Amino acid sequence: MMDHTQYRSAIMADPHDPDPDLRAHRAACAECRAFTEQLLRFEARLERALLVDIPTQAVVLPFARKGVQGPRRWLALAASLLLALVIAAGVWLTLPQRSLAAAVVAHMAGEPDAWQLTDVPVPDADLKAVLEDSKLRLKPDAGVVSYASSCAFRGHKVPHLVVQTPSGPVTVMVLVHEAVRNPKQFDEQGYRGTIVPVPGHGSIAVLMRDHDSGSADVARIAARVDDSIVWTR
Amino acid sequence: MPGADLYMNDEVGGNQSRARFQALCQSLRPDLLRFAFWLSRDRALAEDVVQESMLRAWKARDSLLDETAAKPWLLTIIRREYARTFERKRFPTVDVDELVAKEEPMLAAAEEQNISDVRAALMKLPDDYREPLVLQVLMGYSTAEIARELALSGPAVLTRLFRARQLLRAACGEDLSLDPQA
Repeated sequence: MMDHTQYRSAIMADPHDPDPDLRAHRAACAECRAFTEQLLRFEARLERALLVDIPTQAVVLPFARKGVQGPRRWLALAASLLLALVIAAGVWLTLPQRSLAAAVVAHMAGEPDAWQLTDVPVPDADLKAVLEDSKLRLKPDAGVVSYASSCAFRGHKVPHLVVQTPSGPVTVMVLVHEAVRNPKQFDEQGYRGTIVPVPGHGSIAVLMRDHDSGSADVARIAARVDDSIVWTR
Repeated sequence: MPGADLYMNDEVGGNQSRARFQALCQSLRPDLLRFAFWLSRDRALAEDVVQESMLRAWKARDSLLDETAAKPWLLTIIRREYARTFERKRFPTVDVDELVAKEEPMLAAAEEQNISDVRAALMKLPDDYREPLVLQVLMGYSTAEIARELALSGPAVLTRLFRARQLLRAACGEDLSLDPQA
């Protein structure tokens, strides 16, 4: 016959254990029944606690292609090396002015999944939660927001959104803590963008991938994004 | 074979299998990310580990014979990828209080303070106790499955689960007067 200690040890290891001996002991022992109920209440809290919120985001896997054979392989290798040199030179040339724009681009490069072309919006509740932290909301005509996340950026949590536009996905970072005096255009590491001042609310960074955009596109979209934001403080 | 569509080789079949694999990853992503988060207690690291694991899974997809077993298969890949991350990088000593503060937005439970308390206690739970607990409660693993995944004996798993709950309940101010001694 199972004793109290054996029962409670077993039930603490697995509160949902269907073992008949455990069930029989529980049925016969009021104190262990009370213990089990207390444990199951905690278990419900534990289950909810483990279900942390996950930002809605599409999975995009850069699937490996079949390997290129023969001379084409060497050409591809040479092209890759040349590209690496060009990128390295570009990075070196921009180092002295590494700044807010560079930090924004670096952040984008770290979240390639966000760029998916889609017409599936993030759930309203997720978007609202992300925007509320920065005391803003979007007008209904802002477009389909396909990605929304509160991201750590230069020591602050900032809204990172992807808005689907006719020119392709556009990333928007609302930088309440980053004031700029004038609009700044940049073209770095395959991203074209602008950071525009928002008097009293820091700035907004708008980025597109280079092949999706021209400078005029970016400036026009930035103006439209700025116009779509309603500040709630 | 249920998983056969994942590794068709011609161009059309290849596109279909990529799309199917992507859909599979999409459907499992929340669970995988939660598992990786509780493994690492770091959201950014969890996202990196899951992304890398999905790529490894795609390359090794012919080892998945039954698509219904995809979740445990991916969880195993995530555990290995997480371990590899530690082999590649030497992380500084972890300050749990800093971790809790860093992940505060993810740990905050909008609805209930007592959920946030459990999350903070989970963050401080030693890895050896947290991992089997997450596999059991979040992933629905049986004791035997946890033992297989973690290469432990069944009694060792039960002892860790017992200790995990005991430490958590103590940290959350639960009444332990009826608890057995470990």
